[in-house]
Parts: sequence; structure tokens; C-alpha cells
Amino acid sequence: MTTIDTSIYSAVTEAIRGEAQRTLSEGLVTAIVGYAAARRKGSAQPIVITNAADSEKLIFSPACVNNLTVYLTKAKKEIPKTGRVGIVVKGCDLKALVGLMGESQLKRDEIYIIGVPCAGVLASTVQPSQELTSDTIASKCRECGEFLPQGCDFVPGVEIPAAPELEKNYSAEIARLEALTPAERWAYWREQFSKCVKCYACRQVCPFCFCEQCLCDRNKPQMVESTPRPAGNTAWHIVRAMHLAGRCAGCAECERVCPMDIPLNLLNRKMARELKELYAYEASFQVNDKGPLATYDEKDDQSFIK
Amino acid sequence: MHSEKQKHAFEPRIIAFVCTWCTYAGADLAGTSRMQYPSNVRLLKFPCTGRIDPVFILKAFQQGADGVLVSGCHPGDCHYIAGNFHARRRFAAFRKLLEFIGVDLDRLQFSWVSAAEGGKWVEMVTELTERVRAMGPMREFRELALEEQWSGALDAPELKEAYNSI
Repeated sequence: MTTIDTSIYSAVTEAIRGEAQRTLSEGLVTAIVGYAAARRKGSAQPIVITNAADSEKLIFSPACVNNLTVYLTKAKKEIPKTGRVGIVVKGCDLKALVGLMGESQLKRDEIYIIGVPCAGVLASTVQPSQELTSDTIASKCRECGEFLPQGCDFVPGVEIPAAPELEKNYSAEIARLEALTPAERWAYWREQFSKCVKCYACRQVCPFCFCEQCLCDRNKPQMVESTPRPAGNTAWHIVRAMHLAGRCAGCAECERVCPMDIPLNLLNRKMARELKELYAYEASFQVNDKGPLATYDEKDDQSFIK
Repeated sequence: MHSEKQKHAFEPRIIAFVCTWCTYAGADLAGTSRMQYPSNVRLLKFPCTGRIDPVFILKAFQQGADGVLVSGCHPGDCHYIAGNFHARRRFAAFRKLLEFIGVDLDRLQFSWVSAAEGGKWVEMVTELTERVRAMGPMREFRELALEEQWSGALDAPELKEAYNSI
């Protein structure tokens, strides 16, 4: 077990506070979505501030796990409808933000992006007061290569300490499943999906699930059964993975919020990997007008079609 | 003269999602040319392969299909110019997802059949039917649907018997 150096986070907190203070008092932004300390020791929660005096509430710590971009897509009462809105993003969150811009859900000049140099955040299974180590770090951070967000309006000027080499959970698990036979994989997923209680927390927290009416909520015709029973659960998770293919930014929020601990992000990571292989597409900091499944190339592989 | 119809222990149910401009016309040509092909295949006509949502395939399996066929115009022949190009990418991705979930991809077939290829249609449908017949019924999704009717913990002999007779 190695400790991960998070000494930069105090400097980052200071820089975020300073920037929030400046932008709010100068009237550059009408609100800032960020993280604030929560009641439990060491924990953090999302906050929307509209007053420069509240900037002192903002923090950044290893417990700042949320992807705040979701608040920009699903109307939140606290966020003013007019003016530019500031948002605090980590590298993974920025990819989601960029994806939303590519899908015309957000306009770049309507948001003020405060990027956070990040050394990793805590896994959802550990207490927020715990120290960030190679054991307590979130799985997504183990495979993250984007510690420094790019193309932001403001990024605190701190040096990110070199990250230790960590075990890659997702890659290992995908490789393990790929090596199994179809029947064994089916048994694995059947067991996982049978845990699902259809709370739709994964849909609620996903920045890309912004449809006003979800296909899975429609009942005329009903495409996916809405009850939390095995057939409907399996269909829901397949549809969810398919609708996020080529869009998912890999923030792993779905997996974090899942009350039944279903490894949801495995499906998304697997699809991202396949699309990278097939169409050389990857979620990045670069705004793409069209995702891999919204466009085509006449020379696409069709070896699977007779 | 019709050849003697062979009797099989298992007749697979195959659902074919076809585009109206090419494959449907191709299947029609096979019919008007009096070519013989297995009657296991049920055709569902769509305006274009681009209209065929992966969720339809899922639904077909859930409703008891043993095999699914998706067929449309050859690349470049799409009535709507690019519908089949989009479909090609979507299905390439969907195949990978189903494979990862644990569905045997031999049950899922994609093809391009033009309005002039009645022969290719017959050949492909025959091959798919025989392949799925050899694989036996698709149990995975049906078992999931059955799980909804009684709890997995219940294991009474009469339930087992009822299950086995399905």
C-alpha cells in the first residue's frame, strides 16, 4: 500500500476560492457549482453559490467524487437560468462537459470552467475521512491519464506530483470476463443484474442521460419492462450501455451511486474500448460535433455482415 | 413438385428485420421465383436498416426468438442514402455488447441482400436456420422471463416438470 500525495489539494482549494470570489464579485458568472464540506468528517457535497461571500465554502479534497456536470443538464432550482455559470471540474468531469458541448446541450460561452489538477479521489466504498492510498483510490483514477484538465477558463497553477503505478481494476476485470465462455459471462451478468432494484440512480446521475423521456419509461409500445425483475433489469442495462456507447466519458458515477454495487462502468468501459478499436474514437478534451455512432465512414469494417 | 418436408425435433423461431427497399424485395423475389426456404423465418418490414433499433433485437430474443437476422441494402444502395452506413456502425457496437453480456453471436446474423438477390436470401436463411437448429433453443432470455414467475428459491418438482416441458 502506497500513500498518494494530495498535498496540492490545499493550494487548489485556495485557488478555487480566489477565482470564485473574483468571478462572482466582478459579475463574470451568476453562480458557481462546486464542492463544499459536508457534515460527516472529511466528506464533501455539491454546492451552488451565487454570492461572492460564500466562496469560502468551496473546497477540493479526495472526497470530492461527484461529477458536477450533471447539474448543468438536469435543471436544478439553485442554478440561475440566466448568465454564465461557473463549474468546478476534474479531468474526468471535463470530458463529460466536452461531450455535452459536442451534443449541443451546453454552449461554451455560457459556462465558466474551473479545472482542477487532480491526483485522484476516494472510492465510494471507503469512509470519506480516510487517507488517499493505493487501496482507497477510486477504480477510475487508477486508469486515469488526464490529471490536468485542458481548455478551461481557469486552472490553479500547481505541480501535480508523480502518480505511483496502480493496479488497473477495470482492465483486469474486462480481460478476465473476455477470457470466459459466453455461458460463463452470461451467468456472471445474470447474477449482477439480478441485484438491480431499478432505482435508476445510474440514469439520474449520468450527465449523458438527459432525454426528456427515456425510452425505458415509455409504455406504448413498451420496449423495456419497467419492473425490477430479471428480464427487465437485463434489458435496461443493455439499453443503457448501448445508449452510452461512444458518449460515455468514463466518470464512473453510475457505478459509484449504484446501491447494489453492480459493476456498471465495466460495460461502459468495454464499449469505449471497442469503439476505440473500431473507429479510433475516445472521449477527450476536444469537442467533437459527432460521436462515433452518429457518423459513418464508407470504408467501415463489415466483416461481420454477410 | 415440392420435395418431401423433413420432420425435425426442434423448429427454431427466427425473426428477420428487413428493409423494405432491398431485402424485403429480395425475399419477395425468392417467393415469386418459387424458391424453397425454411418457413422458420418471420419477416418484419422496416423502412430502412437505420430504423432498426438494437432494442428490437433484444425484444425479439426476450419474446422467444432463437435467432435474429437483420438485413438491408448493400452499402451505397440505401434508399435514404446513408441509413445502412449508420446501422452498420450501430450493429458493430451492439454485437460487441451482446458478446460481452454472454449471448452467442452465432444466433445473430447481419447481411446485405439486394432486391435482385433472391438466391442469396434463400441460401442465407437456410444456413441460419440450420445453424440455430443445431444450437438448440435460446434459453438465456427465456429463463430470465421465467424467473419472474416464481422465485429462484422455489424448487418444487411440479414446477421443474412444468419448466422442462416448455
